[in-house]
Amino acid sequence: MRRYETVWVVNGDLPDEEVKATIDKFTNIITGQGGTLVSVEEWGRRKLAYKIEGTLRGYYIIADFAGLPDAVKELERNYRIDDRVIRYLTMKKADKVDVAALEAEMAAKAQEAARRTAEAEKAAAEAAAQEAAAAASPAPPAAAEATTPPAEEKPPEAEPAAAPEKEK
Amino acid sequence: MPALPRRRRKQFFVRRKVCRFCVDSKLIIDYKDAATLRQFITERGKIIPRRISGNCARHQRHLTRAIKRARLLALMPYVPSPPPA
Repeated sequence: MRRYETVWVVNGDLPDEEVKATIDKFTNIITGQGGTLVSVEEWGRRKLAYKIEGTLRGYYIIADFAGLPDAVKELERNYRIDDRVIRYLTMKKADKVDVAALEAEMAAKAQEAARRTAEAEKAAAEAAAQEAAAAASPAPPAAAEATTPPAEEKPPEAEPAAAPEKEK
Repeated sequence: MPALPRRRRKQFFVRRKVCRFCVDSKLIIDYKDAATLRQFITERGKIIPRRISGNCARHQRHLTRAIKRARLLALMPYVPSPPPA
């Protein structure tokens, strides 16, 4: 097994369902050919540096997987057939894949993802709580506190500067 | 009019350029990172030669390959698009 990274660009003018359909289709090809999918990353719609097939927008999808060279052959054959795909690129990242190491990596990634979603949920909950608290108590007190210190500092600075001028 | 003394040729300091990728190991060459690759192309979209960028042969080679891949994926231009008239 070899480790590959494949990028495909879907015409950005197509609706989201079509884009998601390509993700399902190509990830199924990878797994169907005995490959192990490590991750699928979506960059979303981006502006293309030049026009391709009359459009300037493309939806970028990057998949990281381990598989046999034949899987890549099949994948690229399908890229060429599919009209929704405007560009594709497959790169070999490693010649040999240690399946155990790969699984460990995937487990670590899953853990990381779980931790991140948990954190995001926590942050969202906290933000919601803060928002609720802010809504409950009127905001002006905090705003007033922030503006008063600079106002107090200014007068002492202005006085010494003005005094010498008066002496002259 | 006597000719101005021109004994010494114009002196200029040759600043030793160093390969940015050798100096900073955090800076990696990746065809997906168009923002970094853009630093190594001219306004016309040409790849800046090693002579000017100061990259080492190895990194210049990797860089060139990455830029060409990025161009294929339309992450970078082959030729800059003309400004809107």
